[in-house]
Amino acid sequence: MITLSNFLLIGAGLFCIGIYIILSKRNAIQILIGIELIINSAILNLVAFGKYDKVNNAGQAFALFGIVLAAAAVAVALAIILNVYRQYKTIDPSKVEKLKG
Amino acid sequence: MEAAIPYTTNENIALLALLAVLLPLVAGIGNALFLPKQSKLSAWVSTIAILISLALAVDVFARVWSQHTASIHLQYLWFTIGQTQIVAGVWLNNLSVLMLLLVCIIALPVHIYSMAYMKGDERYTRYFAYLSLFCFAMLGLVIVDNLILVYLFWELVGFASYLLIGFWFTRDKAVQANKKAFIMNRIGDVGLMIAIGIIYAMFHTFDLDLLFGRGNLAAQSHIQSGLWTTIGHYTINALGVPIASSSAGQLPAYCYYIMCAGIILAVAAKSAQFPLHTWLPDAMEGPTSVSALIHAATMVAAGIFLLGRVYPMFTPDVLTIIAAIGCFTAFMAATIALTQNDLKRILAYSTISQLGFMVMGMGVGAYSSSLFHLATHAFFKCLLFLSAGVIIHEMSHLKHKHHLDIDPQSILHMGGLRKLMPVTFITCSIAALALIGFPLTSGYLSKDGILIQAFEWSQDKSWAYIIIPIGALLTSLLTTFYIARLIFKVFFGQSRLRHIDANIEPEAHEGDWRLSVPMVMLAACSLFPLFSFNPLEYKHAWLVNGLGGVLDLESSYHILVPVVINGVGLLVIYLAYAVYVKQNVHWLKQKGLLFNLSFNQWYIDTFYNGVIVKLVLFIGKVLYWFDQHILDGFVNALAAIGIALSKVSAWFDRYIIDGILHLITDIVKQAGNFIRGFQTGRVQNYLFTMLFIILVVYVLKTFI
Amino acid sequence: MNILTLLIFSPILFGIIILMLPTGYRNIFRYLTLFATLLQLGLSIWLYLNFKTGAGFAGVANESQYQFVEKLHWIGLNLGGMGRMQIDYFVGVDGISIMLLLMSSIVMVIAAVSSWELNKNHKGYFALFLLLDVAITGVFCSLDFFLFYIFYELMLLPLYFLIGIWGGVRREYAAIKFFLYTLFGSVFMLLVMVGLYFSVKDPATGNHTFSIIQMMNPANYDTNSIFGLLSHRLLFGIPARTVGFIVLFIAFAIKVPVVPFHTWLPDAHVEAPTPVSIILAGVLLKVGGYGIIRICLGIFPEVALHGAFWIGLLGVISILYGALNALAQRDLKRLIAFSSISHMGFVLLGIASNTAEGMSGAMMQMVSHGFLSSMLFYLVGVIYIRVHDRDIYSFRGLGTLLPKYTVFIMIAFFASLGLPGFSAFIAEAFSLVGAFNSKTIPVWMAVCGSVGILLSAAYFLWTLQRMFFGETRLKGGEIWKLALTDVGKRETLALVPLALLTLALGIMPSLVFDKINDSVLALIQFIQVK
Repeated sequence: MITLSNFLLIGAGLFCIGIYIILSKRNAIQILIGIELIINSAILNLVAFGKYDKVNNAGQAFALFGIVLAAAAVAVALAIILNVYRQYKTIDPSKVEKLKG
Repeated sequence: MEAAIPYTTNENIALLALLAVLLPLVAGIGNALFLPKQSKLSAWVSTIAILISLALAVDVFARVWSQHTASIHLQYLWFTIGQTQIVAGVWLNNLSVLMLLLVCIIALPVHIYSMAYMKGDERYTRYFAYLSLFCFAMLGLVIVDNLILVYLFWELVGFASYLLIGFWFTRDKAVQANKKAFIMNRIGDVGLMIAIGIIYAMFHTFDLDLLFGRGNLAAQSHIQSGLWTTIGHYTINALGVPIASSSAGQLPAYCYYIMCAGIILAVAAKSAQFPLHTWLPDAMEGPTSVSALIHAATMVAAGIFLLGRVYPMFTPDVLTIIAAIGCFTAFMAATIALTQNDLKRILAYSTISQLGFMVMGMGVGAYSSSLFHLATHAFFKCLLFLSAGVIIHEMSHLKHKHHLDIDPQSILHMGGLRKLMPVTFITCSIAALALIGFPLTSGYLSKDGILIQAFEWSQDKSWAYIIIPIGALLTSLLTTFYIARLIFKVFFGQSRLRHIDANIEPEAHEGDWRLSVPMVMLAACSLFPLFSFNPLEYKHAWLVNGLGGVLDLESSYHILVPVVINGVGLLVIYLAYAVYVKQNVHWLKQKGLLFNLSFNQWYIDTFYNGVIVKLVLFIGKVLYWFDQHILDGFVNALAAIGIALSKVSAWFDRYIIDGILHLITDIVKQAGNFIRGFQTGRVQNYLFTMLFIILVVYVLKTFI
Repeated sequence: MNILTLLIFSPILFGIIILMLPTGYRNIFRYLTLFATLLQLGLSIWLYLNFKTGAGFAGVANESQYQFVEKLHWIGLNLGGMGRMQIDYFVGVDGISIMLLLMSSIVMVIAAVSSWELNKNHKGYFALFLLLDVAITGVFCSLDFFLFYIFYELMLLPLYFLIGIWGGVRREYAAIKFFLYTLFGSVFMLLVMVGLYFSVKDPATGNHTFSIIQMMNPANYDTNSIFGLLSHRLLFGIPARTVGFIVLFIAFAIKVPVVPFHTWLPDAHVEAPTPVSIILAGVLLKVGGYGIIRICLGIFPEVALHGAFWIGLLGVISILYGALNALAQRDLKRLIAFSSISHMGFVLLGIASNTAEGMSGAMMQMVSHGFLSSMLFYLVGVIYIRVHDRDIYSFRGLGTLLPKYTVFIMIAFFASLGLPGFSAFIAEAFSLVGAFNSKTIPVWMAVCGSVGILLSAAYFLWTLQRMFFGETRLKGGEIWKLALTDVGKRETLALVPLALLTLALGIMPSLVFDKINDSVLALIQFIQVK
C-alpha cells in the first residue's frame, strides 16, 4: 500500500533537495528552480493530506492555490532577476553583496 | 626756678632765639626757590639774615649769660604718640647761648668772605642757600630742648655739610668726599639714635632739662650690681620745680655702656675723632669758606657741644675712655699733619688734633676749659682757613697765568708770600700763634687750661693715667712744629715756583676788602683781650666762669706747664725755621717708617677703603647670591617640582586613565568587527544561517 | 549711601563705562581713570577730615567705636544641621585703617598719572586698574573676614594681568611667580578663616560668624572649638591657636614682605610697568602690614605677645638683609625694591615692640613709605621711559643734564634714608624708640635695626654719587643725551605733591598721629590684657 508517509517522505526529500539547491547554486534561476521544488513539495504535502478532507477537499483546493502562487512567485522572481541582472550584470547571488556590514 | 629777668619776659627771650634760628632758614629757602642761579642778591639776603641773627644772639646772650644758674625753657606740643607727648622747645642755658653767639659770630665773616670768594661761580645762589641752611641747622641744634630735636638738627647739620662738600659736584673727588662724610656721620647718627632710645627706655623722657639740667635725672642714676637704676621719673611742674612722678626705672648695666658707646660714636663721627676721622681731610674738597665755617669752627664743634650737654651722664671710667680717645686722636692727627703737603689738609688734621684736645678736656673733667678752647679754636682755625683760601686763590691765579701743572693747594710750591700778601701773613701768623698757644693769645688761655687740668686730673690716680697729659704735651709740641712749618714754607723764603720755571715772577696781592676785613676781625678775636683781661691766667676768663668755673687747685702745674710748653715751643719754632727757611738742618729725613706712617695718614684710610668698604660690599654680594640662588632657588625649585609633578600627572592621565578608556573602546570595536563578519550581504548565507539556527533550536528543544 | 561703600565701589562704575566704550578712545580712558581716582581721593579726604578722634572712637575690638560703619546681611544660607551661615557686608574704619585709606587713594592718583604714556591695550589696562583700586580700598575697609578675603584675593587677579601683559622682559615669569606665591599664603589663610568661623559664635544671632571684631573677643569662642582660648586644642602637636597665628602670619608676611618670603618682590617690582610698581610698592606691601595688625594681632594677641621675639627677629633680618642686598644691585629698580624690603622691616620691628611708640612708628612708616616708594618708582620710570635702561652703571653725571630731576631724586633719596624733616625719620626713629623701650624684644634687636639706617644711607648715596654726580657720561652717548629731557609739567605735577606730603608729615606728624593714637593705645591695651 502507498501510505501517507510515503508521500510525506517524497515531499521531504523534494524539500531538502530544494533547500540544497537554494543554498548551493550560483545561478539565480537555479535557485528559482529550487524554490519551485520547495513549493512543489509543499503542494505534494497538501495533496497528500487532502485525503482526510472528503467534504471540502481543502487539500486539493489549497494545492491549486499553491500552484498559482508558485507561478506568481516565479513571475515576480524572474522580474527581480532581470532587474538584478540589469543592475549588477550578473545573476550570481554570491556576487551581489551590497548589503555587506 | 626760672629767674625773672627784668623788663622782658623769658618767653620773649626764647622767641628771640628762635627767630635768630629761623631767619637763615627763610633766607635759604628764599634763595633756593626765588632767586636766579647767579644772583648777587642772594649773598646779601643770607648775610643780612645772619647779621640780624647775630644781633639777636648778642641780645639773648647778654640777657641769659649773667644768670649763672638760671635757664629759660619754652615748649610747644609738637605731636602726641600714644600717651607720650613729644614737645618742641627751646632751652637756653649758658652753653646754648654761648654756642648761639659763637656760630653767628663765625658765620658772619664767612658769609662776607664767601661773597668775594665764590664770585663768578655758576651756582652762586645755591651756595648761599646751602650756607643759610647750614646756619639754620647749627643754630637750631644749640637751642633745642629735647633729644629728638637734637637728633633732627644733628642730621640736618650733616646733610648741609654733605651739600656743601659736594658743592662742585662735577668733581669726582668732591663727590666721593661728601658721600664718605655723610656715611661716617651716619655711623655717628646710629650711635646717637641708640643712645636716645636707651635713655628713653630708662628715663621715659627726651627732655634735656629734666635729664641733664635742673631735673638732673641722669646724674642721679647709678650702676650697682649689674643694674642701672634711676630714682624716679620726673616732670617739671608749672612753677619750674622738678617733682617725682612715677616709679624707678631699671635696666641691665650693659645698657648704660651701650648708651655711652653710642654717644661716643656720635661725637667721634661729628667731631672727627679716631676712628671716624677720615672724612674730614677729604671734606676739604669743598669750597674753602665752607671748610672754614663747617669743618673748623662749627659743625665739628657739635660733637663737643653734645658732650657738654650730656656731661652729667658720664661716670669716671667712661670719662677716662673719652679722654683716652681724645688724646690719641690729637696725637695721631698731629703726627700726620707733620708731613702733609696740601695746605688745607694740614689744617684739617690740625682741626682733628684740636678737637681731640677738646674731647680729652671733657674727659679729664675740664668741662669749661674744653668749651673755652672750642670758642677760641673757632676763631683762629676759621681764620687759618680763610687765609688758606686767599693763598690758594692766588696760587691758582698763578697756575692759570703761567699754565703750570701744579696743585694750587700744595705748600711745596709756595714761598715768600710774606712780602706779597702782608695782611694775610700777619693775620695768619696771629692765628698760628694762637694755635700754638703762645702767650698773649686766646689759644694760650684755653689750651694751657686744658693741659694744666689734665695734669691735675692724673695726679692722684695710678701711674698709667699720666700718659694722657704727657701725650697732650707732646701733641702741643708737634702742633707747634707743623704750624711753624706751614708758616715758614708758605710765607718765608723764596717762591718755590722758581724751581719749576725760573722765569716766573710770583705775584700775589690781597683780595678785595671782603676777603681781608673778616680775616682781620677774626685775628683780633684770637688775641686775649676778647676773653680775659689777664693774659696769663685762664681762671679769670669770663667764659670759663660762666660755664661753671674751675677748681682752684693752685698746684705747681699752673706755672710748670706753661713755662715748659712755651719754652720748648720756642725751641721747636726755631727748629722749624732752621729746617725750612735756613735749610741747614737735615736730620729730619723724608723717608723711613715714621715718615711713611705719617704721610699716609697711618694707613687708616687705606684700611677703610680696602678692607671695611670692600667687606661690606662683599657681604652684600654674597647675600645677593644667596638671595638669588638659595632663597629664590628654593622657590624656583618648588616651581620645578610642581611642573615635574604635573608632567608625571599628565603622563599618568594620558596613558593610564585615558588608556583604560581606550582599552574598552578597542574591545568594543573588536567585538563589533567580529559580529560584522556575519553580515556578508549574500542571501544564500543568510538563508543557510536561518536554517541552521532553526535546526539547532529544534534539536535543542526536542532533546533537551 | 554709606560713604565707604561709595569709596570702594565707585571705581568699578568707571571701569564698566570704560569697558563699554569703543577701543579707540584712548584719551577718554585716561581721563576717566584719573577722574575716578581723584573722586576717591576727594572722598578719602572727606573721611579723613570727618574722622573723629578720642577715647570713644578707638575702634579695634569695640564694634560700636568704628566709624562710617555699614553692616548688611549678605549671605544667610541655611545649612540645615550646621546652622545658618552668616556672612555680612561689614565695612568700617578706625584709626588703623583711616590713614592707609587716605594714603592708598593718593598713591592711586599718582599711579593713574603715571599711566599716561601707556602704549597698548588701554581699555583692558584701565579697566583692570580700576578693579585693583576697588579691591585695595575694600581690603582696608572690610571688617568681615570673608569680605576681607574676597577683596584680598581680588587684588591678585588684575595685578597678574597688569604685570604679565604690560610688564618688562621677564613679565610672565614675574607675574606668575607673584600670583602663585601670594596665593600660596592666602589659601592657607582660607583654612584658618574657616576654622575661626566654626569656632566663633555671634552673641547677637547665635550663628557662626566671619566678623573680625567678634573673632577678637575671646568670650565668643565656643568651648572645645578648635581656635578657642580655653579649649587648648592641639594641631600636629602644636597649640591650634599658635598654628592659626603662624599660618595667618605667613600669609601676610609674604605680602609685607618679610625675609625669607620676599623673593617674589624684586622680580614683580622690576618687571612691572611703572604705575603697577607704584601700586605694588605703595599700597600692596601695606596690606600685609595692615593684615598683621588687624588680623594676626587682633585675633591671636596672646600668641603675638609670646612670639614677639621672633617677629622682631624677622623684622631685623629684613632690615639688614634688604639693605645689604640693595648694596649689591646694578638695576636701579631692583635696588629700590630691596630698599622697600628693608624699610618694611621697620614696620615689623615696631609691631613686635608692643609699645605705643613702636606701633605708631610702624603705622607711620607704612604711610610714609607709601609716598616715598611711589616717588622713587615714579622717578625710575622717568628715566626708563626715556632711554629704556635702568642700569646704574650706564649713567654718570646726570646732575648737570637733568637739574630738576636731580632735585627730586635727592629729595626722594634723602627722605627715604631717614633725613629729619621728612616723614621716614619720624617713622623709623619712633619704631626704634619703641623697640628700645619694649619689654618684649631685647635691646640688641633695636641696636641692629639702627644699623639699618646706616646701610640705607650707604646704598642711596652710592647710587646718587654714581648716577648723578661727576662728569656726564652716558652709555648711550649722544642719542641718550638728546632723549634725556628734564621732568615735564605732568611729571612735576605728580612728584611735587608727594614731596610736599613727606615734608608735611615730617614737620607735622600730628597729621597722622592724631588720628591713630587712640586706636594704637586701644590695640596695645588689648594685646596686653589678653
